[in-house]
Amino acid sequence: MTARLESLTRPSPSDDYRGNTRHRSIGFGLGLVGLLLATVTLIANLAAAAGVETDPVSAAETLAWSFGLTTVAFATIKVAIALVLVGILVRLWWRVESVKASLATLRSPSPGAGRGAGTLETLYGPATLTATTPPPLPVHTMAKTMWFPMLAMGAMAVLIGFIASLVWAGDTTSQAAAAWTQGLQFLGEGMILSGIAFLLGSILAGLRSGGGEVQETLGLPVTTLKMPTTAKLFVVLMAMGLMVSIAQFILYLAASGAPGATGFAAWSAWLGPFRELGLGLILAGIVMALVTIGNVLGFQFSRIRDIITTGQ
Amino acid sequence: MTTTTTRPTFETVTSEHSVGYNAPQKMGRRLWAPMWALGLMGWAVGFVLAIVRANEISSGGSEATIARLSHVVPAFMFLGFLGVLTAVSFAIARILGAFRKGGGDVQETVGPVETLRMPKTAKAFMALMMMGMMVLAVTVIIHLVVAANVTDSNLVSTEQWAIGLEGFRRLGVAIYLFAITLGLGTIIHVLRFQSIRVRELRRS
Repeated sequence: MTARLESLTRPSPSDDYRGNTRHRSIGFGLGLVGLLLATVTLIANLAAAAGVETDPVSAAETLAWSFGLTTVAFATIKVAIALVLVGILVRLWWRVESVKASLATLRSPSPGAGRGAGTLETLYGPATLTATTPPPLPVHTMAKTMWFPMLAMGAMAVLIGFIASLVWAGDTTSQAAAAWTQGLQFLGEGMILSGIAFLLGSILAGLRSGGGEVQETLGLPVTTLKMPTTAKLFVVLMAMGLMVSIAQFILYLAASGAPGATGFAAWSAWLGPFRELGLGLILAGIVMALVTIGNVLGFQFSRIRDIITTGQ
Repeated sequence: MTTTTTRPTFETVTSEHSVGYNAPQKMGRRLWAPMWALGLMGWAVGFVLAIVRANEISSGGSEATIARLSHVVPAFMFLGFLGVLTAVSFAIARILGAFRKGGGDVQETVGPVETLRMPKTAKAFMALMMMGMMVLAVTVIIHLVVAANVTDSNLVSTEQWAIGLEGFRRLGVAIYLFAITLGLGTIIHVLRFQSIRVRELRRS
């Protein structure tokens, strides 16, 4: 499984690095489809708002399927984002091959004294110095294995939730249909966002091992940044968000058995924001992952400069 | 002194020195953290108010208060999403800045610096991000205005506003997410350019 996923994200060195991959164009197309679906749900909501006084039953039906379709729209755009991230991973490996080829000729011909193993401080935080590329961290291995299953399970949950929303639209008094729609779709959204977070983790893993490969190929001691605080925050926030997404699903199922419409309304009043909080925490983690990627890139460029100017 | 050249695929600017960060990238570097914090604060307030609302419903509280909170809660929750989605966008701008400055710094060590002109996808990324931000910000403001004007006599129109604004909130988030797709797509474009450019470098 991991090897098959690796082949999706790491091109063969013999492939043409100048060519265009289709991740970007397919991702943009898919994102546009999601945006159009969201526009359809806006129109549906405006129609429901206009009819809520004169025909409340039709309005409730419209709102039920509109909820399901909105989540499908968001999921479509998020899958598009995931596809673009896969494209970034592929491109990062081509960058590694290009830097390897280029640095071999650009490296300063008079290297200074070599450095031993240990730790050192850099402008971008503490780093380790090793003779070879350090093995991937457990969290990196997990990210590389889990991104696809998370995306696939999330997409399935959102689609099954959409079918539940159609059932809900057929019987707007059904608490079970309302609970399954909301709980399952937001569990799916959480999983898709986690899949995106795992892809960002895979990008960080790629930057770490790719940077190591470049230095090792040149016969240099391998300088690798230690896991920064932002990366640790990323893991914590993502895990918390996924746990909230799972918890809200279980709580919605519990709420579906609440006695009377008032009981279910009281549960829904806080479960709605709770499920949004789950997605929000994963998004907050994603910000941290992106910030970490920015820092690692800054470190890598400064390392490349060092190799060119000092040979070390 | 810079000169502009056009390649078959990449439009670039050539200069003697690294051009550094552009204005949006500088903004991204400064503002991602405050926007991230805004997101967390928005959700914290929104979630506490949601618990208050749930309590009002279960204890048979005033309908006007429940209706008022049905506007205030999403206002704060989506203020949170506005913050975090803006932080995501700024973090992407920061990554693009790392490529622009880092790529320039590396080239500067061996000769002239070629920098990509801002691609169309990056321009669309910024435009859509601002559009998404406007939609969400206006929606949040209207939610608060409606909440401030709730009375026992206008509960139906309050619900109509809630349903309509929900649609706009969703559209705002969808626009943001699509903008993020474009921003990430720009990174692919930059990586492709850099993979080609780095092989062209020769010690002068």
